[in-house]
Amino acid sequence: MTTKQGDQASPQASASQPNESTVKSAPPPETPAAVLTRFRVIAAFWAVIIFLGFPIWWKTTSIYRAHLPIEEMVDWADGKACRPVFPLEIHLATPSMQSIEAQHLLRTTQHTLDDLNEFAAHHLRLKLANDSATASHSVDNGFDGAINAEGQAPDTALTVRLLAQEGLAAPRSELHAATTQLDVFYPPSQVPVPSSSNSPLSAFIAEELQQLYGEEKATIAHILSGHTGSLDSTSPRIAESISRRLRRSMKYAETYHLSFSLFTPGSEPSSWDIEAAVKEYLSPLLQAFEPISNFTVDTQVQLYANFAPTAPRPEYDETEAAWTFKKEDLSAFVNAAEWPLNPSIGNGPTINFILYVPDPSQSPLIVKENRASSWIVPQWGGVYLLNPTLANSKQGQVNPAHLSQDSLGPAFMTFSHQLLTLLGTPSTPSSLPLRLQTSIRIRAATLLLSASSTMGSLARLTESLPSIPIPASVASSVSTTLSHLGATCSHLREGRFGAALASARVAETEAERSFFEKSMVGQVYFPDEHKVAVYLPLLGPIGVPLVVSLLKELKRIAAGRKARRAAAAA
Amino acid sequence: MALLFRFLQAFALLILASSVAAEHTSNWAVLVSTSRFWFNYRHLANVLSLYRTVKRLGIPDSQIILMLPDDMACNPRNAFPGTVYSNADRAVDLYGDNIEVDYRGYEVTVENFIRLLTDRLDEDVPRSKRLGSDAGSNVLVYMTGHGGDQFLKFQDAEEIGAWDLADAFGQMWEKKRYHELLFMIDTCQANTMYTHFYSPNIVATGSSELDQSSYSHHADNDVGVAVIDRWTYYVLEFLETQVTSANSKLNLGDLFDSYDESKIHSQPGVRWDLFPGGEQEGRLRTVVDFFGNVQNVEVENANATEPGSLKEDLAEIMRLVEKWQKRDEEYSAIIGDSAQNATEKVPSSSNVNLAPKKTVGSTKMAEDSNWAKQLVGLSVVGACTAIWVAGSILGRSAV
Repeated sequence: MTTKQGDQASPQASASQPNESTVKSAPPPETPAAVLTRFRVIAAFWAVIIFLGFPIWWKTTSIYRAHLPIEEMVDWADGKACRPVFPLEIHLATPSMQSIEAQHLLRTTQHTLDDLNEFAAHHLRLKLANDSATASHSVDNGFDGAINAEGQAPDTALTVRLLAQEGLAAPRSELHAATTQLDVFYPPSQVPVPSSSNSPLSAFIAEELQQLYGEEKATIAHILSGHTGSLDSTSPRIAESISRRLRRSMKYAETYHLSFSLFTPGSEPSSWDIEAAVKEYLSPLLQAFEPISNFTVDTQVQLYANFAPTAPRPEYDETEAAWTFKKEDLSAFVNAAEWPLNPSIGNGPTINFILYVPDPSQSPLIVKENRASSWIVPQWGGVYLLNPTLANSKQGQVNPAHLSQDSLGPAFMTFSHQLLTLLGTPSTPSSLPLRLQTSIRIRAATLLLSASSTMGSLARLTESLPSIPIPASVASSVSTTLSHLGATCSHLREGRFGAALASARVAETEAERSFFEKSMVGQVYFPDEHKVAVYLPLLGPIGVPLVVSLLKELKRIAAGRKARRAAAAA
Repeated sequence: MALLFRFLQAFALLILASSVAAEHTSNWAVLVSTSRFWFNYRHLANVLSLYRTVKRLGIPDSQIILMLPDDMACNPRNAFPGTVYSNADRAVDLYGDNIEVDYRGYEVTVENFIRLLTDRLDEDVPRSKRLGSDAGSNVLVYMTGHGGDQFLKFQDAEEIGAWDLADAFGQMWEKKRYHELLFMIDTCQANTMYTHFYSPNIVATGSSELDQSSYSHHADNDVGVAVIDRWTYYVLEFLETQVTSANSKLNLGDLFDSYDESKIHSQPGVRWDLFPGGEQEGRLRTVVDFFGNVQNVEVENANATEPGSLKEDLAEIMRLVEKWQKRDEEYSAIIGDSAQNATEKVPSSSNVNLAPKKTVGSTKMAEDSNWAKQLVGLSVVGACTAIWVAGSILGRSAV
């Protein structure tokens, strides 16, 4: 036992005894220096692998995922972060009333209004217009009234002017079509006395206001409830018209491209006063829509534009003395395959407006059922059939070579109407400024919801796809979105709808940008066998010698330690 | 009584809501062939036949994304240059003169396909190359090529896994990029491709089970290769002979019942479980819900007077125009007053100042200062020249 130990402990000594027969075939024992060198070599290799190779592999194969405020995003999507409210401020101008009477009327009317209202998120707040200056100012502004983006005061939605008029049995109202003003005429006898708790006049005003904002209220309720339910009191007719409108209106976009096309099957008319017509008939509307979206206008003239070969042809109707299209055939009217209708202009959807001038042999051309000459293709655009007065020439009747601005008038008025419809403008009340204000509120609500739901989608996506990269730009877009959503919510709460829409637009754009971030794509899933197939040929030849040498070295160290312990024990 | 009325009203609303929910507002089709080379002629012919059918049923080119990885019509081996046929009778030239290929050749990659579905594309990618579907769109996705168990090969170079496809659809659903989706795939072991789908409102159908091949239908001896695959052939036969117009009432159930395993030589599969209402509800969707295009045209009644009707709107727009004209008159009057010595008088006030901002076409603005770049370039060139000169002088002196 002791000799054997002596052998191992001093290989030098045993190597110096050549006369031992068994030693001859075995390799010469290693010197401690050689063992140490080998140990160092192996350690160096493993050090490189562990301290250089492994971190590099880890770094290059790991996916950068910026931190996202998941909880906050989900809160927005679930509607926990913000309950949008729409307090509309309505000014009551009472030039012919004493202040105490006016105060009392205001109180009772507000009370009646609150009783009538069943949708708490949308309510009307009455306020006395204390001087005529404010009233006239807001009336003057008309369209701009709702759009004081910087101002701290809430937007004035409507001004109600109370005017005493002799000889009236009951109060009556009159809505100014071009401004945001409602005139209420009342018999002087109906001014409520401060002692009475309610009066016919206040009931009348409340009822009028309620009716004025009925559709808007129903629409907003419809949007906020996620297109599933609506108010109990909404009549089925209104509910139908709302969902129909939402169906045919375009999806919101920052920029819409309006494309006006003149199509004709022959060679004439070959020019039109389009620039003047757009300027004259369309720019007022586009200006009015400026706070909601941007617009670009493109025009084209296409001659020799034929119907699709399979499309139904117009038929001559004796009783109407006109060529007619059946209503169900209209969907095949636009020859989508051959008419160049989809110019790829930048981002944003194109709204197409087609002015079709029929061949002289098929003029006039109308829709059979109701003699209409225009129709809307939901979410796409509008068509107008223009039947110009035919000119006589040697070849018989021909279309005029040039369409003047006046002859384009009706067509462009119709296009304006179609544009209103396609942009989802509500149909009541019958004052355009009020309708535009309403559509500002509706758009703000829609954008708020859609940006919030995009946040929720992004949050769920991040959690469900752990291998998708999330660059830092997404995180910054998300924080911009969240801050603008917050701003939208507080603007709404304070009744500044123009400002609310402005921030909602930013929020929507940023939310879309964060979700559609270009670098968030990757083939995200690799099956395990693919990983083995990639790593094995690379790591096998390197890994086997390294692992085996490591094991050998560990074995040697373990054996050495055991021997030493045994020696210590002995 | 009032309660009963309320109840009825709620019921009416419910019916209304459900009928609304079932409707879609637009149709999109994504038609993808994934294989190159002449002997894969049939895959391109498959896709082109489908393209022709959906176009016939009314989906416009702008809503069809067509991905063709090779150009068979202009292949030098094609005995009928400029044409592609899917039948040996060569009755219909699928290439025709009106075809819009959106992704062609090496653009057809897995990455581009996934980018297309999830719309994670560069800003400058034109709209014709984008899937612009939204929450109201029915989307038809048709894929064909060479595949295997849970993968489909793209271009002989890469492959898309069933997981990636499922995730892409999942992301589409998250971002409300489809209302209902019909996924069709014709490849070997096709049914394995839709096993991992998890997002709702998808009906998926494939040509063959796991470990089964999909076969070609027949070859055209003059073209020299097979011209169409079996499953696609019989699907097309159904679409072309039965679904004759965009008003067809045939439903998906009819389409799937038309599968005949003895003709197709493989077992086609259908997956219903992701569809709300399952097979029962899904079978009732009409074929043109996916292969056709909705066009509920709304004719405007020129005589109606309800709010929001044409007549009312026209009156209001008229007033708006008048108001702007008046404002312009005032404005030009002010301008005229302030600029008294301006010689020319504003001739007509109607079309002045109405459009103060001219619409400028979309242009890409590069804000880089060119001078800085040029300076950098100049100095680099100068430095290089200096080194060269110095080197040659030093080298000479050394010799």
